[in-house]
Amino acid sequence: MGEGAVGLERPHEAGEVTGSAGADRAFAVSAAHAGSAGLTGLTGAASRRARVSCLALVSCLALAACVHRAAAPPSTTPATASTAASTTTPAAPAAPRFQFVDVAAPAGLSRMLLAGRPGKDHLLDSAGSGVAFLDYDRDGRLDVYLPNAWRLEGERVVERGRAALYRGLPDGTFRDVTDEAGVGGEGAWGTGVVAADYDGDGWTDILLTAFGRNVLYRNRGDGRFENVAARAGVEAPGWNTAAAFFDADGDGDLDLYIAAYIDCTLDDVLKARPTLDWKGLEKVAFGPFGLTGARDHFFRQENGRFVDATDEAGLADRGLGFGFAVRAADFDDDGDLDLFVANDSDPSYLYRNEGNGRFREVGAWAGCAFDGNGAAQASMGIAAGDVFGSGRLDLFVTTFTEDFSTLFRNLGDGLFEDVSEPTGVGPATWKSLSWGAAFGDFDSDGDLDLVIADGHIYPQIDRHPEIIGTFKERNLLLENRGGRFVDVTGDAGPGFQVVESSRGLAIGDYDNDGDLDVLISNLDAPPTLLRNDTPQGAWLVVDCEGPRGGPAPPGTRVTVQAGGRAFRRDVSAGDSYAGSHDPRLHFGLGGATVADVVDVRWPDGGHTILRDVTLRRFLKVRR
Amino acid sequence: MTLRTTAQWIFAVGFAAGLALGAPARADESPSGTPPEMVTTYNALADAILAVKNTEDALVRTILGATYAHAGVDLGRARAAIKANDAKGSQAALENLASEVATIASEGDAAVGAVRKRLLEGGHHHHADGEAKGIYDPGFVVVTRAAHQQLLDASRAIGQLARAPKADALEAEWGKVQSAWNGLMRPAK
Repeated sequence: MGEGAVGLERPHEAGEVTGSAGADRAFAVSAAHAGSAGLTGLTGAASRRARVSCLALVSCLALAACVHRAAAPPSTTPATASTAASTTTPAAPAAPRFQFVDVAAPAGLSRMLLAGRPGKDHLLDSAGSGVAFLDYDRDGRLDVYLPNAWRLEGERVVERGRAALYRGLPDGTFRDVTDEAGVGGEGAWGTGVVAADYDGDGWTDILLTAFGRNVLYRNRGDGRFENVAARAGVEAPGWNTAAAFFDADGDGDLDLYIAAYIDCTLDDVLKARPTLDWKGLEKVAFGPFGLTGARDHFFRQENGRFVDATDEAGLADRGLGFGFAVRAADFDDDGDLDLFVANDSDPSYLYRNEGNGRFREVGAWAGCAFDGNGAAQASMGIAAGDVFGSGRLDLFVTTFTEDFSTLFRNLGDGLFEDVSEPTGVGPATWKSLSWGAAFGDFDSDGDLDLVIADGHIYPQIDRHPEIIGTFKERNLLLENRGGRFVDVTGDAGPGFQVVESSRGLAIGDYDNDGDLDVLISNLDAPPTLLRNDTPQGAWLVVDCEGPRGGPAPPGTRVTVQAGGRAFRRDVSAGDSYAGSHDPRLHFGLGGATVADVVDVRWPDGGHTILRDVTLRRFLKVRR
Repeated sequence: MTLRTTAQWIFAVGFAAGLALGAPARADESPSGTPPEMVTTYNALADAILAVKNTEDALVRTILGATYAHAGVDLGRARAAIKANDAKGSQAALENLASEVATIASEGDAAVGAVRKRLLEGGHHHHADGEAKGIYDPGFVVVTRAAHQQLLDASRAIGQLARAPKADALEAEWGKVQSAWNGLMRPAK
């Protein structure tokens, strides 16, 4: 996030040096050699002068530390792909048929989501937060959780926003149950949310990530929650952003990865002034260049407590990447869960699970750390899905304006290639500054469409709308037409004409009518709830449950065979931009009349297989 | 010479220069002009700055050299494993090789990248002019943008070879790595 982030900065990370002990030794020897070699060209007095002046040089550099680099505009160079996307799905009709309506207000989702100062003097002011669909009371209807930030005026905190839990009601509206449930956010500056049953008791818990201390609300099963973050060991003070619960070591319980963005204090935020030059026209919030990244955390769960195992697991954020989004999934189809971390302006990380609770960072050579042009992008949100019907999870990563958001096609074995251009995703997203995203079959025609939350971070651009648009933008709906994505936003109903500066995005069927609706958070505004009124093809929602009820463990994979094709979805706990989707898995099946096979592969390797399943229904499958 | 004695020397020169500036000028002396001691000190500082920049270049080259050496070892392992039809061994060696080539492409691993980010934070650009011309990415010392892309492409190709190792394809990709490497290591004119 930040001007100059795109296309300009593409250094750093390229996978770990292997055989670390040997490599470290080699490095130490070589460095010592280089240190002397660099000065050997100077002899006698010059050499003495050079050594003597080192301290002065250090002083000069220290003085220069306050001089920050002015960022240049982002790259406008489109990404290229080495091969074209396949067209594994039949072309759908081109006629517009999507219909979304914003029903947030009539449905009762009225919480104002605060976002720092109006001028967005610091990046924290404009980071917003993720959102979550969850079913905390196991009544079969989706509930909504909204983190909230603070309102600032100059250097003063004038309001600490309260997070909100809304309970879904049978009539499709929501009731604010924040107080009775005890999940108001503890006064934290909320940045993200993950809904997951971390303790395996069958009830969905809530992790509220924060600028400050994280909050972990344990669901007591009686409609009330308790904050156990300190006891569980996950407070991790800092600018935390996205998180993901997943079983990293295959021991049956959920571990936790939390990404972090910038190492800064509240005082830094309060005293921030817009100092970064934007196209020679405006001063805007500074960063992330010139600011220090904060280290991500990995916690291994041990008997209900989370123990920091970041280094031990090979998940050390050695590049201090500006982490914004996290997704755990089995990207290489070897039966364990890998981890993708989208970093802003730094190479993204793909941590491959080596099968023993240890990870190896392989993003650069696996093809998803950089875009196809080798540029580290300003990555902010993630969507994962089997876009091409290959049975593998492809990755979509949202980015800054004037750059392609990138679609990485999974080639198998966790190797990727950038197909943003041939699929049309890149050109369709070039102008937008994008955040949360999700693949979903919004018309149930049998392929995955793409929905993206958009919004700029600099309100100052509103004085120059002719350049790249405005602070508030429309969100995007891209329809999958035979493997090419077409922007159908303008024909997607009034819900997609809403103009806000949006951030978080979650998809789910809140009204249980068999289609996917969209929940979006907006800066300094209530959320948007896009009810999907699009005519649907055949559909099936598979609701996998853990052994004690509640949501299925992350990594549960469902494959539906219908109409001669196979459709794959997986359960995640932590997705999009710092949020959580409906844990139930929606399948659009086009003209199919029956699901020949529904194959649920549980994270422990076991399968539940159902045959000849009727469609247009919610199918509950328990482990 | 320790840091402390270095500091003492610098302070001594500065103090002496300060005294010289502050002393009343004799009638036959010009009151203007930078005292020679200060010019000398500044010259020494310039020597140090330029030497440190050279040292940075040498250090980065050494870091890359170490990685390249590791890559050479893994290349040998990959060749041997492919020849022996050792699928597991060739996969491991090729993945290691891919990782090392990607590390060279990125001018060091993530930890080195963090150092580079620190330098940028401090306003230090080794090739400010080259960055402006699009030859180098910010903070890069040795690896040009063109080489970055070339090496990154090769690393991806080698990574893909790990699934289906082929000796001739490996040699072709390694040839690209060598070509890029030789270009980077060529002494500046």
